[in-house]
Amino acid sequence: MTYLGYVVAAYAVFVALLVVDVIGSRLRLRRALRDAGQRQQRADARRRAATQPPSLELER
Amino acid sequence: MQSIVRWFHLLGSPPVFDRFARRGSRLFYLAALPVLALGLWQALFVVPADYQQGDSFRILFVHVPSAWMSLFVFALMALYAAIALVWKIKVCEVLAMACAPIGAGFTLVTLLTGSIWGRPMWGTWWDWDPRLTTELILLFLYFGVIGLYMAIEERRSAARAAGLLAIVGVALLPVIRYSVDWWGSLHQGQTIRLFGPTTLDASMQLPLWLMVIGTKLWFAGSLLAKARADNLQREAGKDWVQRALGEAP
Repeated sequence: MTYLGYVVAAYAVFVALLVVDVIGSRLRLRRALRDAGQRQQRADARRRAATQPPSLELER
Repeated sequence: MQSIVRWFHLLGSPPVFDRFARRGSRLFYLAALPVLALGLWQALFVVPADYQQGDSFRILFVHVPSAWMSLFVFALMALYAAIALVWKIKVCEVLAMACAPIGAGFTLVTLLTGSIWGRPMWGTWWDWDPRLTTELILLFLYFGVIGLYMAIEERRSAARAAGLLAIVGVALLPVIRYSVDWWGSLHQGQTIRLFGPTTLDASMQLPLWLMVIGTKLWFAGSLLAKARADNLQREAGKDWVQRALGEAP
């Protein structure tokens, strides 16, 4: 194959874009799901704290 | 027909879009893989070498589809942005902003592969040729849209500002398209036409169209995946997101 180095370099750039794109999308989605999960945990903790009876320490 | 219109309207709802994007992105990625693999195989090993350019012409099978995608994605981004501005549809804002990084990626690949092809064929990595320069401006416009979207904290205001830039930037697309006709460009003129005679040899057309279809399918998968992530971030805290967490990914 003539100009082999140039052809390989061009195809490598193209494939690299696809790989970076799919990894980037996966990471972004994972972060969004993790953030939403953490937000839910915080909301649950707040809800639990609001419904618990006041502690003895505070009653005294 | 009625059900299609109803489904289309429903798609504007973030929870419905999330379900659609989750299934759709996987489906499009999976559909793109065999098409791209076949296209790359044909382009590298089946098509005979060009009588003048030798094997360097094989670069066109990744360069041309990427260049078309760079223009197509920008036009689509502007369309979504316009719909979002006029009808205030949140999902369209999300889709418009998800287009930007993908389009920037394809524009970068266009410039890099063009440069790699130019070195042995033109004897230079870069020339301030109208086609190359306008494509570079397109890359900067993509960066501008991404930067503006990231710079403003309030997501909806950010999407509106960046969307407006995308709409204004559409004026560049015909300049890129016709730059080879308007100015004495080093870049070759149009050889492939959807309507009209194509001067590309018939043996080279199949892998090219496979790559064109493959990149479109890949883009659809990537767009839905990125839009889904942005949609989830914007809607975090809503009940439907909490329900969706149980079903994720």
